[in-house]
Amino acid sequence: MPLPHWALALADSAGKSGEHQAALASVTALPELDERALVVEAQAGNRAAFEELVRRFDRDVLRLALNLMKRPEDARDVYQEAFLKVYRNLHRFRFECSFYTWLYRIVTNVCLDHLRRRQARPEDQAPEILVNRQEEGTRDFFEVQREHRPALDPERSLIGKEIRSRLAKAMERLSPRERVVFEMKHYQGLKLRAIGDALGTTEETVKNSLFRATRKLRQELGELR
Amino acid sequence: MSGAGFNGARRMSCDEVAPLLVFLACDEVTADERAGIQSHMTECAECRAQLAEVGELHDSLSAMPQAADELDRTGMLLAQCRSELSESLDELAAPPVEQESWRPFGFVRRWMALRPGWSAAGLLAAGAILGVQLLQWLPTNDSNLNGRAVNVSAAQKITDDQLAKMAVSAINFAPNSDGAPGTLQVQLRAEQPVVLSGNLDDSDMRRVLTYVVKNSDRFDAGVRLDCLDALRARIGDAEIRDALLDAARHDKNSAVRMKALESLREVASEEDVRDAVLESLEEDANPGVRVEAINLLVRSLEMESAMPVMPGVNSDEPAVEQTAPAALAESDPSVRRVLRALEQLRRNDPNHYVRLRSAAALRQIGPAEVQ
Repeated sequence: MPLPHWALALADSAGKSGEHQAALASVTALPELDERALVVEAQAGNRAAFEELVRRFDRDVLRLALNLMKRPEDARDVYQEAFLKVYRNLHRFRFECSFYTWLYRIVTNVCLDHLRRRQARPEDQAPEILVNRQEEGTRDFFEVQREHRPALDPERSLIGKEIRSRLAKAMERLSPRERVVFEMKHYQGLKLRAIGDALGTTEETVKNSLFRATRKLRQELGELR
Repeated sequence: MSGAGFNGARRMSCDEVAPLLVFLACDEVTADERAGIQSHMTECAECRAQLAEVGELHDSLSAMPQAADELDRTGMLLAQCRSELSESLDELAAPPVEQESWRPFGFVRRWMALRPGWSAAGLLAAGAILGVQLLQWLPTNDSNLNGRAVNVSAAQKITDDQLAKMAVSAINFAPNSDGAPGTLQVQLRAEQPVVLSGNLDDSDMRRVLTYVVKNSDRFDAGVRLDCLDALRARIGDAEIRDALLDAARHDKNSAVRMKALESLREVASEEDVRDAVLESLEEDANPGVRVEAINLLVRSLEMESAMPVMPGVNSDEPAVEQTAPAALAESDPSVRRVLRALEQLRRNDPNHYVRLRSAAALRQIGPAEVQ
């Protein structure tokens, strides 16, 4: 699994990338500037520099939000809220960590807030979209298996489908923090220390969350074995 | 238990290895821990099995499609987010509106701006009062407006001939705000297009929906599924239940048969429904339908066993006693038939998963000897 842009950035969160001075920005095209110079420009009020920063990272932000929230409309809210927070608080950023780490921390906190709110008020929420669900009526899973793909083992497919459906449901039952940690570890491929940095917590806490999350998922699959 | 083991690595016990397996699978253990675990694995089959199980979980997770790939395949959502963010930034950057020199009703406007909910309610109430009062003063010669309601939606009557020739182009649902089944709109293509609006109290609506469900060769599977969705809300109605039982037995599409069975969930313990379910269990060619039938039978027995044996004098009082499904088997022949069918399935079904599910169902509801 290729590591996302974020993962590489978080692995080296010392913020070494930018030695350029902000003055360069006036003579260099924005896309060519490194992150540090862009941040400095954006802090000085350059809207185009801020938008360039957004474009560099927003694909990964939306991806993380979609994977965590599992609903496009919620992911859209997370995207908006996170970047507006960045915009309003950019003057407070002091380069003590890399910009990515700082941004990632904001995004994960916004996601955690949304997940906690969702957990507190489940009655207001639309169900999550199970991404591996076949659209009923338009395509009959069992018939497709039997009629068009006879080479596949139908029992394995059936059990595989059951496993995926149970896993998707079990993921919904994880606590918000366990879900974020599991997602960042498994799908984003981040190191535990980097996850701790992003969540503003210790590696040990992250380890505990990952352990608990994995145990819950294994329990869910236990009956199928 | 510790000491030097394989390749000089520290010997670890099962209790030490077990919590590290999760981290070993995602490459988050130290070199010492890894060596200790490897050394332990060479001699402990149980921990090897545990590790294989964790690996299997990781494989299953890797095989799951990621939400981000599925929910924004085209990048449309990203474009939408960017455009919304740009608008929000424009709003944040916009200079504050200059103060007007003269602001009539300034206090009211400020009050309303801060309380949009109350303002909306107030405006609606004011509009309603004004409308009612004004109507009394308006001169009118139109007799229709003098207190008599005008019915603009005449009830449609669908003839048998129309039913035989119709095609359904769409079914729209408009649920009530309280979540109860609401208005349905069925668009029919007959000699001339007809739009049927109403709910399941409407006999024409019921006729059309049950007709569609019973005639699987004439209508698209998606339309039949929509009809089942609509009909399940009124499962107590005999005509509707017949249609659902018919679909569960005879529909040519297994997704529709499954859905029909699922729709019968609330009445699963009744005799005619149980017969249909048993029939599906024994005769349906599709393993998914058979699994749904097992689920339904389990539910039916659970429902039956949850029924009070000696209800109190007052119906609000709790039941005096509840019977276990296994105990019911001794007295009720139909329960015995269910258990026999499940046992048969557990032994002979060609599908591995169906056999597993039947065994699990028997453990759940069966007599003590199979539990």
